[in-house]
Amino acid sequence: MTAAGTAVSVALVRGSADTRVSAASDGEIARAIASAPPGEAHAQESELYQRFAHRVRLYGRKHLRDDSAADDLAQQVLLLTIERLRAGEVRNPDEIGSFILGASRMLAGSTARKARRRESLTAQFHAPAPYAEPDAATTDIAAVERCLHALAERDRRVLVLTFYAEKTSPEIATELGVTGTVVRVARHRALERLRDCVGLREARKP
Amino acid sequence: MTDPRCPSPIGFTDVVDYWAGELTRAEEERIEAHVFGCAPCARELEAADALARGIAAMARDGRLHTVVTDGILNRLAADGVRIRMFTLEGDAVVPCAVWAGDDLVVARIRADFTGVDAVTIVTRKGSGEEVGRLSDVAVRPGQREILNAFSAARLRTFPETLVHVSVTTATRDAGAGGGERTLAEFTLDHGGSFERPAGPQ
Repeated sequence: MTAAGTAVSVALVRGSADTRVSAASDGEIARAIASAPPGEAHAQESELYQRFAHRVRLYGRKHLRDDSAADDLAQQVLLLTIERLRAGEVRNPDEIGSFILGASRMLAGSTARKARRRESLTAQFHAPAPYAEPDAATTDIAAVERCLHALAERDRRVLVLTFYAEKTSPEIATELGVTGTVVRVARHRALERLRDCVGLREARKP
Repeated sequence: MTDPRCPSPIGFTDVVDYWAGELTRAEEERIEAHVFGCAPCARELEAADALARGIAAMARDGRLHTVVTDGILNRLAADGVRIRMFTLEGDAVVPCAVWAGDDLVVARIRADFTGVDAVTIVTRKGSGEEVGRLSDVAVRPGQREILNAFSAARLRTFPETLVHVSVTTATRDAGAGGGERTLAEFTLDHGGSFERPAGPQ
């Protein structure tokens, strides 16, 4: 076999293994990590990170309202999860999503504890380099600008007041002289139109 | 439906309410529990987050063409957005220009809005070309001014020109002015785009 042929074979075997991992359920991934010798289920650990890091990051953005803190939370929660799986301390790996959510709630609750934990885990695992960062939904700001300006003025104002000025529905309702229900309906309609215009609906299809 | 593989998908309206902080803690926890077990619905949440962040990023870049409030302007200023303000009031022609450091230009439009609950603001170049139209702009009882924001980047593309701003409101009597009444008209003398002088003049 030529050198080139060998390289192709290796790539195919690796591709086959990656496909099996990516097709596995969350529970299967978690059980594989738990049953492997510590640190040897690299593909499964990377897959678990890719599947859940962005969800933890979203949770962090929602509850911590700070991008850097949300990134830190995602890092901490996934390292903690892998650590517990390796140690056999996750009682029900089939419910790994629930475990990760619980860990997110717990760690987001204490910034000081979070910082200490990160130092400890980083020292233990050295670096998260083996784990690829998950693809996050990104938006083209120019597209958002174009699409936002195509909306009706009231809808546009509701979105800016909600997501930039962080106003509540009652506050926006007072501003616009309408009811809170009207604000919520306008927000639903406007964000859905914006999503369609920007193309995020299509981009999210599997 | 978010995805046929999710047996009980979260609706986009719930996702929007979640991000907007409209849900009770119990409702938020229900959504979070679902999302941590459901990749397709997590993508819905991710899409809403991406849009919300895009809107905020756009505002922080001063790329707004909309009616704003003093509260929004204060927040923009705190975020480092450089705002230039012009007041439109009465008959005087208002000299204006956009400078190199400007991010956002705001026209503070003052008029008598008594008895009016919504207006349309149309901006035209001296040539008659319409360059902005804000329809159905809400007016609160007692409101005396409307803050109309423009992206400075867009204004930099304007040549030296007069700019006409008209503020109209719909009338119930279609026979009066074709169903539209003019509340105020203003003229700005746009001098173009300038670099800031290097030092005190």
